[in-house]
Amino acid sequence: MPIKILVVDDDPDITDVLDSLLESEGYDVVIAHDGEEGLDKIKEENPDLVILDLLMPKLDGYGVCKTLQDPRWSRWKDIPIIVLTSVVEDVSQRRYELETGVRMNVDDYIEKPIDPDAVLDRVGKILARRE
Amino acid sequence: MRKELLYEISKKVIASVGVQNVLHAIVESITIGTKAKGCSLLVLSQEGDKLYHHVSYGISKEYIGKGIVEVDNTVRRVLEGESVAITDISNDPRVQYPEAARREGIGSMLSVPMRSYGGVRGIMRVYTSKGRTFSEDEIDFLDSIAELSGLVLEKEEERDRMVLEANRAREEVSRMSDERERFLYFVRMVAHDLKAPLAAISSYIKVILRGNAGPLTEKQETWLNRSVKRIDGMLELISDIVDLSRLEAGLIYPELAGVAWKDVLDSCVEVARGLCDPAGILLVKDIEPDLPEIFGSEVRLCQLINNLVSNGVRYTPRDGKIYVRARDVDDSVEVCVEDEGHGIRPEIMPNIFNDFFKGDPECLEGTGLGLSICKRIVQMHNGRIWAESPAPGKDIGTLVTFIIPNGSICNLAFGEAQREEEGS
Repeated sequence: MPIKILVVDDDPDITDVLDSLLESEGYDVVIAHDGEEGLDKIKEENPDLVILDLLMPKLDGYGVCKTLQDPRWSRWKDIPIIVLTSVVEDVSQRRYELETGVRMNVDDYIEKPIDPDAVLDRVGKILARRE
Repeated sequence: MRKELLYEISKKVIASVGVQNVLHAIVESITIGTKAKGCSLLVLSQEGDKLYHHVSYGISKEYIGKGIVEVDNTVRRVLEGESVAITDISNDPRVQYPEAARREGIGSMLSVPMRSYGGVRGIMRVYTSKGRTFSEDEIDFLDSIAELSGLVLEKEEERDRMVLEANRAREEVSRMSDERERFLYFVRMVAHDLKAPLAAISSYIKVILRGNAGPLTEKQETWLNRSVKRIDGMLELISDIVDLSRLEAGLIYPELAGVAWKDVLDSCVEVARGLCDPAGILLVKDIEPDLPEIFGSEVRLCQLINNLVSNGVRYTPRDGKIYVRARDVDDSVEVCVEDEGHGIRPEIMPNIFNDFFKGDPECLEGTGLGLSICKRIVQMHNGRIWAESPAPGKDIGTLVTFIIPNGSICNLAFGEAQREEEGS
């Protein structure tokens, strides 16, 4: 069964780029356009990995991370997450820490613009670690 | 002579007891000293057509509240410098409120001008219960006291004016800083909105360059590579502008913590290696062990050193060297970044830390904000930064040195931390 990756980003160009990039490497790609839809897709599709934008309408990436820590979501709490955003890492970490008191528990952090090779490399590494 | 002396006395007395106390003391002393019923200081309105009771002694609130004293011919004569005595209130047409004066039990009234340096301030009135005349000696004495009162009043106005001006200046400063903060917020918002589409364009091109959208001709590849470079330069500029506005607005407050120089320098050397190695430049580090800890922003200190190193890499030729040195000097830490580039022309040296200054305006690389950001970071840590070119003891290269005191207390443009406003 092909590996399934969920991409959550409100920018259709970014989801388009990632879709085409990841599909070309044989991954199965599922798209969500905001955090709420992202959580729905996590439940429905049970992806192997989530690529998550931080600033999105309805529910942002921080909110998705927080929700996954809730006991009701324990089935998905260990799902690997790569944050892909144009917010500088230390800024978003600080914000998350201020709001929750703990560090954002994500597996990797990539800043936009997308460097295709770097994205594929990180995705590959995280999936390998899981197996 | 009399005026100078009075002025000197009034200045000293006011300084020790305050204007209102002095005026009260004057009206009270005159009333008692001249065995009068009461005494009032009436101040001229701004338009110069009315008189208001400013301070009085011995007369009732009802009398003071009788109405405004109009500047009629009699009052005008007093204001012009004449002393006017009305010896029998009940039968004198010059009295403006005869009924009120009768009820108050006033028999006669002497009005003398209150003069000061700035002109006449109003009049001083002495009221007696019985109708009586005033001797020339008495009038002369009261004239002097009225003059003293005028000078005290002038002092009071001066003080009020200064307080008013100081308040106005304070308001202006706070309005300007509000405006500045709003502007800096606007800059950050615009910058972030510019970033998102650029990031999308750059991402597309990079995927196209990877061949994901089909094969490319050599020319397409060259031009797309150049496009990516231009877009990434623009993204760098936007990041710099955001950094600058954050530094300017004092938004780095949440970043402040105890920072070990060793951690800062270790992580910077690692970044520097990543920049130097691909460019074929040798990185030479000479960092003293046991450097202290300071209270500051680790992120910004790293940004500072990385900016200096990346500048050095830009100008140092292949096989050249970049030195990163750090040592403890007189309760401060001194960090030097030296390159073997072509150096900085002496005529542009004074400008290199200015916003948007580029040594070579034609150069596509760099935003002209790197060093001005460095300067702000150093200043925020109460330090100093300067450059020397050619590097001391050499005929090429540039040496940039900054010193940050060990017990540094970070100074922020605006002490209050605002909520993070970063957008995508």
